Amino acid sequence: MKKLIIALSIVPCFVYGQLDRSVRPSAGPAKTINIKDSEVYKTSNGITVILSENHKLPRVTFEVVVGSNPKMEGELAGLSDIAGSLITAGTTNRSKDEIDATIDYIGANLSADDNSIRLSCLTKHMSKGLDIMSDVLLNANFPQNEVDRVIKQNESGLLSAKSDAGTMANNAVSKVNFPNHPYGEIMTEASLANINRGMLEGFYKQTFTPEGSYLVVVGDIDMETLKPIVEQYFGSWKGGQPYKAELTSKNTNSGNRVFFVNKPGAVQSVIQVTFPIDIKAGHPDYLKLNVLNQVLGGGGFGSRLMQNLREDKAYTYGCYSRLNVTENGSWINAGGNFRNAVTDSAITQILYEFDRIIKSEVTQDELDLIKSSMAGSFSRSLESPSTVARFALSIIRNNLPKDYYQTYLQKLAAISKQDILDVAKKYLTANKLNIVVVGNEEVIEKLKPFDADGKIEKLDAFGNPVKERMAADISADELLESYVNAIMPDMNAKMRAKTLKKIKSVEEVYEFTMPQMPFPMTSTRVWISPNTTGSKLEAQGMTFQKEYVGATEGKSTNMQTGSEMYSAEKLAAKHKSVGIIPEMNYKTSGMQYELLGIEEVDGKLCYVLKLNDGESESFEYFEKGTFMKVMTLSIQTNGEESSESRITYSKYTNHNGILFPDAMQIAMGQATLSGKLKSRSFNTKIDIESFK
Amino acid sequence: MKRIFLSSIVSLMALQSFGQKEIKFVEYDLDNGIHVILHEEHATPIVAVSVLYHVGSKNENPDRTGFAHFFEHLLFEGTTNIERGEYDKLVESNGGTLNANTSQDRTYYYEILPSNQTELGIWLESERMLHAKVDNVGIETQRSVVKEEKRQRVDNQPYASFFTEMFSRMFTEHPYNWVPIGSMEHLDAAQEADYVNFYRTFYVPANATVSIAGDIDIEETKKWVAKYFGSIPKGQAINMYRDWELLDDAAFEAKYGVKRTAFDGTNFLKPKDKAAAAKLKELQNTPIEIPRPKKATEQLSGVIKDTIYDNIQLPGIFMGYRLPEQTHPDMYALQMMNDVLSGGASSRINKNLVEKQQIATFAFSFSYGLEDAGIGMFAAIAAKDRSLDSIQMAFDAEIEKMKNELITEEEFQKIRNQYENQFVSSNASVAGIAENLADNHVYSGGANKINTELANYMKVTREDIQRVAQKYLTQDKRIILLYLPKEGQQ
Repeated sequence: MKKLIIALSIVPCFVYGQLDRSVRPSAGPAKTINIKDSEVYKTSNGITVILSENHKLPRVTFEVVVGSNPKMEGELAGLSDIAGSLITAGTTNRSKDEIDATIDYIGANLSADDNSIRLSCLTKHMSKGLDIMSDVLLNANFPQNEVDRVIKQNESGLLSAKSDAGTMANNAVSKVNFPNHPYGEIMTEASLANINRGMLEGFYKQTFTPEGSYLVVVGDIDMETLKPIVEQYFGSWKGGQPYKAELTSKNTNSGNRVFFVNKPGAVQSVIQVTFPIDIKAGHPDYLKLNVLNQVLGGGGFGSRLMQNLREDKAYTYGCYSRLNVTENGSWINAGGNFRNAVTDSAITQILYEFDRIIKSEVTQDELDLIKSSMAGSFSRSLESPSTVARFALSIIRNNLPKDYYQTYLQKLAAISKQDILDVAKKYLTANKLNIVVVGNEEVIEKLKPFDADGKIEKLDAFGNPVKERMAADISADELLESYVNAIMPDMNAKMRAKTLKKIKSVEEVYEFTMPQMPFPMTSTRVWISPNTTGSKLEAQGMTFQKEYVGATEGKSTNMQTGSEMYSAEKLAAKHKSVGIIPEMNYKTSGMQYELLGIEEVDGKLCYVLKLNDGESESFEYFEKGTFMKVMTLSIQTNGEESSESRITYSKYTNHNGILFPDAMQIAMGQATLSGKLKSRSFNTKIDIESFK
Repeated sequence: MKRIFLSSIVSLMALQSFGQKEIKFVEYDLDNGIHVILHEEHATPIVAVSVLYHVGSKNENPDRTGFAHFFEHLLFEGTTNIERGEYDKLVESNGGTLNANTSQDRTYYYEILPSNQTELGIWLESERMLHAKVDNVGIETQRSVVKEEKRQRVDNQPYASFFTEMFSRMFTEHPYNWVPIGSMEHLDAAQEADYVNFYRTFYVPANATVSIAGDIDIEETKKWVAKYFGSIPKGQAINMYRDWELLDDAAFEAKYGVKRTAFDGTNFLKPKDKAAAAKLKELQNTPIEIPRPKKATEQLSGVIKDTIYDNIQLPGIFMGYRLPEQTHPDMYALQMMNDVLSGGASSRINKNLVEKQQIATFAFSFSYGLEDAGIGMFAAIAAKDRSLDSIQMAFDAEIEKMKNELITEEEFQKIRNQYENQFVSSNASVAGIAENLADNHVYSGGANKINTELANYMKVTREDIQRVAQKYLTQDKRIILLYLPKEGQQ
């Protein structure tokens, strides 16, 4: 033992008595955060400069945030988003390549959005970085080729939005919570088409103006060094007055309202129970409301919505709530994805949880758990200089006490069960909620009891009211016949039969491109009389997927998941839509089809034909008048998950007497592919083995 | 939770790191051999508590490979005082986060916690060191988890076996012959006793570095370190303590010749009778031998060219060169040479092979420095219809150019800028600092290297880069692995 004692006295250790290791250490007192007070001054051209010194690392971040409020855009909805993504894409002095090269050379980061520009770099490369930053701030010039590129990207984005239930729900939430407010404006294909370079430049010139703007500087620089730098790089920045508007968010409902967005064939409903709240960033109640939201559904597994709807009732994989508080408007939403059969039960339980948290106190355990996990993640977030910058700006902008974030942890620790009940009663407006459901029409009847006046409001993918579907004026068989007549024009029945008889095989090759992908993909589809088909998707010498369907066997192969032989049922389903013109065979192939009525799709009136081959559902849209097929919506179901692909057809061209679309667009999930016909050949030799 | 199996190329960047501003720290040894490093900074009220065990796959028995990585998983199963599955929850419900990783040379565990939970973090890690649950229940659970991990990260990843294939050819004697994920057959074949034995050999105080960084008070932290880590018995006495917990009275007495009841778990170091005290003292003074391989000495004697058939569509080529160990002075220039070749979109390999000649869809080079040896690699996936020969020729042309000409002034300045930025950023978080300090202490000859390494890189000249290219990129001594699609296999 002697040796140990000697060692302990040499090393700066402390002798201790008995140690019961089963006793877990308790937490020390919550600490204050050591955020250095920021220094603030105003430049002669109207910029409020906020400096938050931090010399831990020789790095510095400059962020310009302009002072304009969001503005109504109307017919140009989406203008600000597009402009924001183009600010670093070229100036009157530099091309995008030159900007990128210089930023890479000094190992810096430069980014921008519709109301801010941000640079971070090593302190010693500051002047090179600021050179570029002030250039894009003062001289962005929106080169036409870059404008075209970004608009194209957004077109694809909008297409995929139409098949993404989550995006559709978010669009509806924005629209219903914020009528006559910029937050309630959603970009559509029509508004995107209205946007041009001149408007983008106009937006930029009006918005990026020094008056009322903030320059937040964080990092390894002091005030004395900073002042001349600000003058040098931002002193010549000129502009008009920023746009100011008093924006509010208030719940004006007199009872619950149900909004429904139709997603044909959906097996799950996306539910969002939502309402605007009258609070702005920086309000003293915000933190309490935040804790409330964590208990309700923002705090992961332990939170109430998750416990009730997932753990207890197994309605869903996840049910969450979100609190969104900004300077211009705030809202709460709660929900998730639920299978069709429990859509109404899920809404009942979400409403129950809102009711419960308004009527009774949360438990001490719930409160303690949420407070410590919030304290932890808040503290960890502070390591990032950008968090500190955000706080510095928030203090100035929202007139918060200087020590607001400094004492955040103590304020959090002080929140009581009574505080939570108080803010629940004050902000959560039970029985005046917006209930948004994106899903299958079959659930709609069950939603009526939740609506105060029993009238469900129907919205489209972008949250705009839709016209009700009209009854069809022809039968399904008449529609199919008219379609066949339309794509084989100027022929009588006999000639049609003759034309078709001559065709023994077809091979069509399309080339697909995607903005996010540097190389094109090739899609090959073949048909061999009477009922053999094959398809393949290739790029860069790799075959991503292929399918073979023959008379007696079928098989699909995917690069990632391998091969699958089709079951008898699946093969039978595939056979129901085989042929040069599959629609001609529906009557005899066993395909179930039903004409649902007439709907407006992208401004065109279309007949909607619902198909079911026994394995999956799809919807075909034929334009009223011309009878041409404009779109196919296919739904793939896998347990409770469903995915859809939306194919739109255009450029119908005559090949061998039949009109085929030479262009198509496929939207699947987040991806949108644009396809152009490369070749379509008839009666050539086809190597069907290569599809197996 | 993801426990990262440290074989990725990215991890190279983290192996050594440097800051321009001095990182201050104190370090000392506890009597039981634990090395302690403490870094105090109050910028953010958080703390990173970490333990680096100087054990990796190179310490494994050749017929029990994968053990080091397996232990990384096993040691989240709980301890005598922490229920199974509770370890993660304790950290998360106290506002923290945790993870671990394993390489050929080390196994590293850490928690990031609010700083008022520093004591909790120290207790958690000391529990893991003293008496983790190493039993069949945990072994069975983690066996299936590790197998799933191998399926996901190695077996189902095209080309991913190149790491294993390269190391097995480069190191025929040294245990770098196998990689950390190891063999699932070995893990299946192992018995509980093998696992217990591994724990009792490598998870001992003298093999551990405790590194704590963040919003701490040094003196207070030293007290907690002494309380929880200092009380862990020294030498073989730690295993006597572990037996005291596991064995019944008779078995304990049979093994140690002293009464089990003479000890008290809350004050183990002060037994009640003299015989027990004497035995304890004896074992405290009996160090645990930690088997470590010698530095790798084998060198390539010629060109090894092999073909490997894999589930791939496009052929690939992987060329390997023998480099020195990570502490060798030439490694600075070798790393910088690599950045010229492969650091970012504007680097030589990407510009020439991918963008201009378009013979490869993806091409890069990197140098991998380990404790006992290093490997330099060139890798590329062919573009459609392009041959691996054309890629090898293009790589060889780049290598010749590197040997025959100095890099340009502009390239030189760009990589210096990028290096500096990288090093500065790697010390932006307390978690990064804790890890860098521990790594530098164990593998680079001193924790203070965290402050001095950047200078070593900045000393590298263009001539140095040319010299190391000539010395190590030996065209007559290298490994060339050609990856071809399985479908075309004859």
